[in-house]
Amino acid sequence: MGSPVSLVHCDPNSGSLASSIEKSVELIHFKPGKEVKTVVIKPNLNYYWETATGCTTDPRVVGALVDYLRETYGQDLTIRVVEADASAMRTKHVFPMLGYGRLAENKGIELFNLSTDNLKKEKVSVKGRNLEFEVPQSILTADLFINLPKLKTMRMTKITCAMKNIFGCIATPRKFVYHPVLEEAIVGINKIIKSHLTIVDGLVGLGRFPVKLDLIMASVDVFSVDWVAAQIMGINPRSIKFLRIAREENLGNPSGITTCGEELNRFKKQFPREGLIPQKLSWSLQFGLLHLYKKVSGDVIPPFLEEE
Amino acid sequence: MINVGIAGLGRQGMLHLMNCRHIDGIQVIAAADTSKKARGKAKILGVRNLYEDYNVMFKSHPNLDAVIMSVPNFLHLASIQSALESGFNVFTEKPLANNSEECRKIVSLVRKSGKKLMIGHNCRFYEMTKTMKHQLDNGFIGDLEVVTAEEVINGPFAHPYVPAPVSEWWFDPKKAGGGVLLDVGYHMIDLFRFFAGEARVRYSYLGHRLNLQVEDSAIIMLQSDSVGTKGIINVGWYERTIFPRFDFRVILHGNAGYSSSDELVPKNLYSYAAKEGVKNVLRRISGRKINPLRYTYFYEAYYKELSHFFECIRTDCDPSVSATDGLKTIEIIENAYQVAKEVPKDGKPS
Repeated sequence: MGSPVSLVHCDPNSGSLASSIEKSVELIHFKPGKEVKTVVIKPNLNYYWETATGCTTDPRVVGALVDYLRETYGQDLTIRVVEADASAMRTKHVFPMLGYGRLAENKGIELFNLSTDNLKKEKVSVKGRNLEFEVPQSILTADLFINLPKLKTMRMTKITCAMKNIFGCIATPRKFVYHPVLEEAIVGINKIIKSHLTIVDGLVGLGRFPVKLDLIMASVDVFSVDWVAAQIMGINPRSIKFLRIAREENLGNPSGITTCGEELNRFKKQFPREGLIPQKLSWSLQFGLLHLYKKVSGDVIPPFLEEE
Repeated sequence: MINVGIAGLGRQGMLHLMNCRHIDGIQVIAAADTSKKARGKAKILGVRNLYEDYNVMFKSHPNLDAVIMSVPNFLHLASIQSALESGFNVFTEKPLANNSEECRKIVSLVRKSGKKLMIGHNCRFYEMTKTMKHQLDNGFIGDLEVVTAEEVINGPFAHPYVPAPVSEWWFDPKKAGGGVLLDVGYHMIDLFRFFAGEARVRYSYLGHRLNLQVEDSAIIMLQSDSVGTKGIINVGWYERTIFPRFDFRVILHGNAGYSSSDELVPKNLYSYAAKEGVKNVLRRISGRKINPLRYTYFYEAYYKELSHFFECIRTDCDPSVSATDGLKTIEIIENAYQVAKEVPKDGKPS
């Protein structure tokens, strides 16, 4: 069964972010399973691009979440903001560049590189395909693990939100090794790493271009979040392969998914829909033509424009 | 035949290698890079002698006529010195070196060696730059009052189709020598010098939006020594841009008119690419020489600058961009860093 997903409109400049987060969490009646002493927050910091591009989680949202958590569970909480190194991104650079260094100083929280965590190799089977991941153990032992993704479209998987952000927890920096089986890998890692709560930073969404949505979403179920997020982005969730696989692997079920708070259409109308099929075709066509041109004319393709 | 060696096979070095294959009378006989993968790519492109260390390449191939240096900034002085002392003509990527002291050493080494050195000031080789210079020199603009030059991009944080890590030296101020002012500002200041002559810094503001140890934005005001032409330089590393979008423009403001790069660069780079691509295919079919990279408009400059360098070797002429150009540009940058220290952080002049 799916879970409720709350949609809350907020004004990030009015100082109401923490209350918007509180409202989004209250709307889904979230209660942690045990006493909360340690919290791990996983934002989406996939590259060095600032939050206004719609690519990365806004540190203001993390800051507001920290305020809410301390208010709710006590000032002595141990809070860790985590991210793993990626193919082209290093956490040691991304944290200070995107304002997380300052945030950590102001809020007294720890920034942690999951690639340096105590790692355990975990095997999982998805649709009969055996996958292996290096899993950071500190995520699994936190009293409260909060997934804090963005709301973005993506050429390869159509959308990237809650489930794809968990993929970012894999400790191996060269995560592109999973790209040939990306959908299966997303589902596989979500079988191992389960967040207690997902809060989506939808202040700026990224479709054909970035757009100010001023949206906060919350749910306990990553599948439900992605199902609703896809609808906001104007994409039929049934057409998303990793959601289909997740359903087949009993990781989620669309029946019973409801939204509460604001109307979904309010945000859907604002979202700059991306023609993903034409875009995918256009990219393939551009690269195809470029390589054909190279072959026929003998001309040079600048390495920057090469596929690899 | 001019025998060439390439030191550094990153994206830029690889582009030079590919361009060399299209220049008549050029043979790349050796290349060096610490990356095995890069050496593998060079091998596929027909380079037979590959080395990890460019010094070993220099020693193993004393018959080289020229070397292309495409190594990180902090290696410029050492690598250029080694190449000149080995008796090679040198084409190097900008900046000439990380500071004026190193640049002066290089200028002196070039004089002593009697060899040619050219710096890759590719912006001077854009078609639009050539047109603007022609318009200025022929009075179309009148007296040049102000030059505005701006380029706001993602700098080292732009990535190709498949993302690759940003080289660590970019994050190290000692190795990189500076931030966007040294990287992109270098080109814009050189363009100002190209149009208006030598200059002094009147105002300088450096921004640190990305909390790097080096500046990620810079706004500089220049004034030329001779005729008092003012220059406004605006550069940044903070903007996410994806080619063919390119936040770059130069405007020459004169008292008889103006010239703007926005009006000279093709409006639609896709249709321009298609048109030039078809022309090249027809050239090849009819057995004529193609115009490499013409279809990209901007990247063609890399082919042209390299062709110019080799032509200078062939005809024993001085390259249009000398070591002194590199030194003068670096002196202005150092001046800008100095002036910026006097400007309060809010950017307002005190």
